[in-house]
Amino acid sequence: MNTAGKRDLDGTGEPILELIDIETRFGPKVVHDGISLRVRRGEIFALVGGSGSGKSMLMREAVMLHVPTAGRVRLFGEDVTHLGEIKSLPVRRRVGVMFQYGALFGDMTVLENVGMPLREHTTLDRGLIAELSGIKLSLSGLDPRVGSMYPSEISGGMRKRAAMARAIALDPELLVLDEPGSGLDPVSAAALDDLIRSLRDLLGLTIVMITHDMSSVRRISDRAAFLGDAKLLAEGTWSQLALSDDPRVREFFVERGAQPDHNDSAAEADSPRKDGK
Amino acid sequence: MTEMMSRKLTRKQSCTPASVEGGGDAYLARGAWTAFGLGGMAHALGLDTTQRATLDLNGIDGFDTAGAWIVCRAQQAFAAGGGELQVVGSDDQRSLIDLVSENQAKPEDLQPAKTPGFLEEIGRDTFAILNNYLTFLAFIGRLGFSAVRIAFTPASLRWRHVVRGIEEAGFDALPIVGLLSFLMGVVISYQGGVLMRQYGAGIFIADLVGLAMLRELSPLITAIIVAGRTGSAYTAQIATMKVTEEVDALRTLGVAPLEALALPKFFSLVVALPLLTVFADFMGVLGGMFMANSLLDISAQNFIQRLTESVSLASLMIGLGKAPVFALMIAAVGCYQGFEAQHGAEQVGRHTTMSVVHSIFLVIVVDAIFSIIFSKIGI
Repeated sequence: MNTAGKRDLDGTGEPILELIDIETRFGPKVVHDGISLRVRRGEIFALVGGSGSGKSMLMREAVMLHVPTAGRVRLFGEDVTHLGEIKSLPVRRRVGVMFQYGALFGDMTVLENVGMPLREHTTLDRGLIAELSGIKLSLSGLDPRVGSMYPSEISGGMRKRAAMARAIALDPELLVLDEPGSGLDPVSAAALDDLIRSLRDLLGLTIVMITHDMSSVRRISDRAAFLGDAKLLAEGTWSQLALSDDPRVREFFVERGAQPDHNDSAAEADSPRKDGK
Repeated sequence: MTEMMSRKLTRKQSCTPASVEGGGDAYLARGAWTAFGLGGMAHALGLDTTQRATLDLNGIDGFDTAGAWIVCRAQQAFAAGGGELQVVGSDDQRSLIDLVSENQAKPEDLQPAKTPGFLEEIGRDTFAILNNYLTFLAFIGRLGFSAVRIAFTPASLRWRHVVRGIEEAGFDALPIVGLLSFLMGVVISYQGGVLMRQYGAGIFIADLVGLAMLRELSPLITAIIVAGRTGSAYTAQIATMKVTEEVDALRTLGVAPLEALALPKFFSLVVALPLLTVFADFMGVLGGMFMANSLLDISAQNFIQRLTESVSLASLMIGLGKAPVFALMIAAVGCYQGFEAQHGAEQVGRHTTMSVVHSIFLVIVVDAIFSIIFSKIGI
């Protein structure tokens, strides 16, 4: 099962990311209506919600790509809500982001993509950067030989792993993953989940992942938060969430066939064939 | 344990550069052994690799995979040199070094793709250029084929797109085309007028402006503006659609991309460019007339009278006749470059640039060919 038992979740860990009363509006459309959550060091925190529930927007606000209409964002204990572009640079370096579609730069090889943050921010020599990039690729589960190819020449799953390698290039303290498993088959998605967990264990990262894949939430997250109707519907460990009586949260458990007492392999729970037949 | 480890491994933001102190066979690591602090670290840390030595990591300010890799690399250098480097540090630091050591890549896998030699480069470029001509011809062929098909089923052409295209390529370009041809008329009239006044032949300014604008300059300047304005937009649009797989989506939906994207653009440009040229003719002559009036005191009435006497309908038609040819070329180059784009935003930019350069080049070359043909057959 998940590693929740191992982790120190009594609320004493140092907060890495805090969102306080976040409100986001686009004209009359309310995306977030007073959302607060706190992610502690060493956690794998899953942000769950249906399509259009504002998960990705919340992520963009957490990593300073969008300023919320109201509320505060704190990263590493520092208020970054209205931090200027220049002042935010040192904070940004401590956060690695993997975008949903990878967002690899098309005019660079995979290896150059991974080494790009190192070239920009450090004075390491080229050979060393290439070696470090190779290590990051290998840590992300890619054969370093893939490094000489261009992003357009590799498969979607490889692109995600390469994007992951780039996100951890500077050894960030906080790694934010947008839909790491989407577009992958259940086996690759499960392998990516294992990878995420081992990165956390090996490099001591704090990980926030956006997902709507309940099996992945159960498999690797320590805590999860449910977004829906612009609010935080539920928050807690897997077993706490499973006890939630909010119908919108329950729906997720039922539809995904991932009842907490149901101990099948999580990858199977995700297979559409099962209920199709 | 992870929390302890991460706290210890955390990098300080303002870091002191990493360094190695001590001598003999016991070394002390100092400073931040992170990607930010390791700037000038040598391969074997600048130590004698033939000896047995220890490196103490307990006094450092930060440690990350970059630091772990430097230590790991130094250990390997010592092993290769016949010595041994033992690391004294916490379990976390050692496990990170082990992790990095397990994940290191073979040096040959990290070589950048080898750059082709001079001769190979020439060969590749030549082949690419020749191939480019061929694919362009193939594109024209396929386009002609779909145009013929559309001719039999005119209802299947996207007329709404054609009409909107005429508005965007034609109507929206009126101000810039009008202003530039007016100024062109002013300039020709001024340059010619100064010269002709010396011979008392001021009235011939109407011949000069009329012939120059109608036969040559209006069609040319309009085509160049349209190539820059509309041809580039065609390329950028189609290239972006190609890169985001929208073109493939069209294909899977049973819609021929050429018919859906390229043909409407051809039809609208073939209509819009001659109309724009007429407008440019008018504005150019107006500019010439304005200048003739203020510089040579030739009244508008005299100017127009002289114009109708000296400039034949043939001159106007020759100018207008070139416009649809230019339109076809601009649309062909614009659409072709768009469809040629593959993967990546950078390609969109490159093909848009090539589209503008090639279509302006072609317009001027074909205009010159027209001039030669007309002079041979004596029009």
